[in-house]
Amino acid sequence: MHRRLAWLLLAPALLFIALLFMAPVLALLAGAFRIDGAWALSPLITFFDEPLHREVYWRTLRIAGLATLTSALVCYPAALAMVRVPPPWRGLLTGLVILPLMVSPIARTYSWIVLLGRNGFFNALLQGLGLSDEPLKLLFTEGAVFVGLLQLMMPLMLLSLVSALENLPADVLAAAATLGANRWQAFAKVVLPLTQEGLIVGGTLVFTGCVTAYITPALLGGPQVLMLETLLYQKVNVMSDPASASVIAVLLLVTTLMVNQLLKRVSK
Amino acid sequence: MLVLALVFLLGPFIVVFVAGFSGDDTLRFPPQQFSLRWLIQVFTVEAFQRSFVTSIVVALGSTLLALALGVPVAYALSRFRLPGAEAVRLLLTLPLIVPGIIVGLALLNHGVLALNLPVTLSLLIGHTTLLIPYAVRVVSSSLANLRVDIDDAAVTLGATRLQAFFKVVLPNIRGGVAAAFVLAFITSFNQVPVSLFLTGPGVSTLPIEMMAYMETSYDPSIAALSTLLVVFTIVLVAGTEKLLGISKYL
Repeated sequence: MHRRLAWLLLAPALLFIALLFMAPVLALLAGAFRIDGAWALSPLITFFDEPLHREVYWRTLRIAGLATLTSALVCYPAALAMVRVPPPWRGLLTGLVILPLMVSPIARTYSWIVLLGRNGFFNALLQGLGLSDEPLKLLFTEGAVFVGLLQLMMPLMLLSLVSALENLPADVLAAAATLGANRWQAFAKVVLPLTQEGLIVGGTLVFTGCVTAYITPALLGGPQVLMLETLLYQKVNVMSDPASASVIAVLLLVTTLMVNQLLKRVSK
Repeated sequence: MLVLALVFLLGPFIVVFVAGFSGDDTLRFPPQQFSLRWLIQVFTVEAFQRSFVTSIVVALGSTLLALALGVPVAYALSRFRLPGAEAVRLLLTLPLIVPGIIVGLALLNHGVLALNLPVTLSLLIGHTTLLIPYAVRVVSSSLANLRVDIDDAAVTLGATRLQAFFKVVLPNIRGGVAAAFVLAFITSFNQVPVSLFLTGPGVSTLPIEMMAYMETSYDPSIAALSTLLVVFTIVLVAGTEKLLGISKYL
């Protein structure tokens, strides 16, 4: 009786997800494996024949990787500093870090348009300081997309690292110092290995977030600096190439799943 | 380094906030004059009005639906020991893993185009699937803190399972449900990838409309809208936090 009730409670949600989410998505993904009505793996391979496709895929991985690395380098010291902050301020700080995650990515990305545009802040500054005669093209470059994504994803890395550092026993660093380690050694040989799970969690969140980003590449990169998701959009709405769209969908999903699997392995 | 990180993270908010108060005709920073003109003007743009209403309706609808579907799941998973629990949890996590843009495109191709579903309904479906995992997770963590024997005690005292749920369990997980509501609502309201393919000239959500506007106009309207949205978000989150203390469930 109890089991029946439990499944009854689960059924609506499970059916909803199975029929209205899984079925359409699987149908879309299946489209990547069909050629002339038959099943084949070739569309995935021929997709990479096109130079634009290779360029976009590589660019997406590159920017995502760079953003992940940079966020780790910046957030580790920041997290180390943050865990030393005493309680009343800590809550406020944590709130300040979480807040950006709740605000629309459009608003967060838009600020870069304001800052990097032709009449924007940085150009005005450069010209005002006499460092340049005419506005530089800062927007619609890979750099702009990189900075935008970094800013978008950083709270995720920061919070992961803070969480990992909080679980570090307090006397570990003191013990290392007693045994003769300087700060660098203490970090590299003690803190880093003990908090690597937090690093991996943050890393996967940032990496997948960057690979599957749409708004930031669309606003800061435009049609000249395409990433996987903006390319997907183009394929559907501009180029009328649904076959490629399905392949990109598969690529996105495979990349995300692989990174998620890595996360599961490490978390065990 | 911490200070630098914080400046990097929060600086842009301040930039957008200040730009929203600009009185200029085009977007520049720092603004040459300040005024409330764009903040007021955005309320009059028809496209923004329409899409705002759509966004609110979809967010409200999908949040309520996600809670209606998700709360029973959270309850079932926490109160019963089920053989397929792991598989269920995996299925429920899928919407978080699959990139939203794929969901939107899939629903477009196989929902709107193939089955002739109305666009707003497809939006609702797409958003709901995305929100169910959030609802389940947040309510689950709230249920985990509630002693299992409470509803058993109620049943022993003569209540049916249903009465026990509504009169005993629900009031105690009120905070968790509220937190789930706020989180889901905000997620739906800000959602772009899923809505991207599902919106068109007739039906659009506010974020999509904002992005479209940015392609053709360079005035501070979007900055003003962003300012309003940031304020709206802060008020919503801070308000519910003060009233219900939701942060411990997030």
